[in-house]
Amino acid sequence: MFEELSQHVLDIAMNSLSANAKKVQISILESRKRDCLILRVRDDGHGMDAATLKQVLTRRWSSKKKRRKPVGLGLALLQQTAEMCDGHFHVRSVPGRGTSVTASMRLSHIDRPPLGDLNTTILALCATDKKMDVQLNYRSDEQKFSFDSRELATRGGVIL
Amino acid sequence: MNLEQLKQLKEKAQKQIALREGGKKYRVVISMGTSGIAAGAREVMKTMLDEIEKQGLDDVEVRVTGEHGLENIEPVVQVEEAGGEKTTYAQIDTEKAKKIVSEHLQKGRKVDNLAVGREKKTE
Repeated sequence: MFEELSQHVLDIAMNSLSANAKKVQISILESRKRDCLILRVRDDGHGMDAATLKQVLTRRWSSKKKRRKPVGLGLALLQQTAEMCDGHFHVRSVPGRGTSVTASMRLSHIDRPPLGDLNTTILALCATDKKMDVQLNYRSDEQKFSFDSRELATRGGVIL
Repeated sequence: MNLEQLKQLKEKAQKQIALREGGKKYRVVISMGTSGIAAGAREVMKTMLDEIEKQGLDDVEVRVTGEHGLENIEPVVQVEEAGGEKTTYAQIDTEKAKKIVSEHLQKGRKVDNLAVGREKKTE
């Protein structure tokens, strides 16, 4: 469904916006040495109770339906991607406190989507109609960098 | 005035207040739900931001929002003008996005063949 992992990240973080999060923290670990890629999106939104979470995760997108209509299925899509790439998927959510979504993959798996255009994903999250602080921490074997929207001068909500 | 009209008035007033705060002539709203992203909304947003910058248009505000409920015609781009007029563009790709910037946002001419809904003239 998504060609890039950064599209998954955007999709999951847009859920945070819907959950009225004031802050979303994205961390990405990419390690060739350990042959793994781990994505985590954590927010302080309104969270989900166990029943809602179960419902969200079991409403799988069916390939039988040819219509491109994967509404509200972003979590299930990421789960599918993670498990397809020999990884794991985990959601922890506390009503009133927030949600944390973690997906891991085998970095060298042939089906693993590329990380793709992470910059545009972050840019999009900084241009949301509701104000939400965006943090990114990226780490690989060679480098690490972080981003924090609170440290940026913005014009009209969009970084120009 | 009935309840429905009152509701509409409140919505419009609210929009005006929000727009005034933004202080821009045009407000571009891009739907970025799951279906929007899958259909290329993120790339559309990038193209529009790039074009707006390239053309030096500083009276435009770009906003990203959740699902519009129009998942069959994503990516959806809405252009709101300071006067309250709203144009919905459907099934936008990067080429169409460039056209919206160069025609609507730069010259103030709506791109009728890309628009859907009320604003589209059929006769």
